[in-house]
Amino acid sequence: MSEDRKVERERLLDARPDEVWEALTDQALLSEWLGDEVELDPWEGGGLRVRVEGEERIGTIRRFEDERALSFTWERAGESASTVELTLEPAVSGTRVTVVERAATGPVAMSAAEWEMRLGGLARVLRLALV
Amino acid sequence: MSDAVFAALADPTRRRMIETLASGRAMTATSLARDLPMTRQAVAKHLAALSAADLVSSDRVGRELRYSLEPQSLSDAARWIASVGAEWDSRLGDLERLLARRRR
Repeated sequence: MSEDRKVERERLLDARPDEVWEALTDQALLSEWLGDEVELDPWEGGGLRVRVEGEERIGTIRRFEDERALSFTWERAGESASTVELTLEPAVSGTRVTVVERAATGPVAMSAAEWEMRLGGLARVLRLALV
Repeated sequence: MSDAVFAALADPTRRRMIETLASGRAMTATSLARDLPMTRQAVAKHLAALSAADLVSSDRVGRELRYSLEPQSLSDAARWIASVGAEWDSRLGDLERLLARRRR
């Protein structure tokens, strides 16, 4: 797999972790900051649909840990997928949110998370086949 | 991607500088140093590398040079970094304002 591109941002938010978590996982609230229209199934493996400036991005929830971490992959039509990881850390004056978005580039446009999932799936199939 | 561009982007601080300049504002080395935070000298060194790769251009404003991003020279990777970085800055700002509204 060729080089990964990565963007990282951190912000200290003046809100409690449970308040931030709600803003990260409630569809109505997500539609006020993540994109223009957001549909999200709030569990690991759940679906994600985000409309951003008229374009639609489809994805899957990879990690869903209450008040700690939300991670998902998403991709626009015709572009490589990227993985977004949002982590929450309680701080004295609120909650620290870190976001990391990583894209896989190159001919096989899959993120590291996608590879892990696919290789994991292959291992399961092989174990079943050997039984 | 040319060697100079690759070398320029290999450093995380320089990538961060590109993201800052991607917001569209031309900035002096002094204001970049304030944002990052780094010494003005370190910023000037990084700007020289970015300039050599044609990733930034400069105009003189008073006694200082003011730097802007040269998007035409950016490789796909740098464009991605600049645009995704700007997207997240905007989203986190909206998240902050949303949380502030809900506190009232």
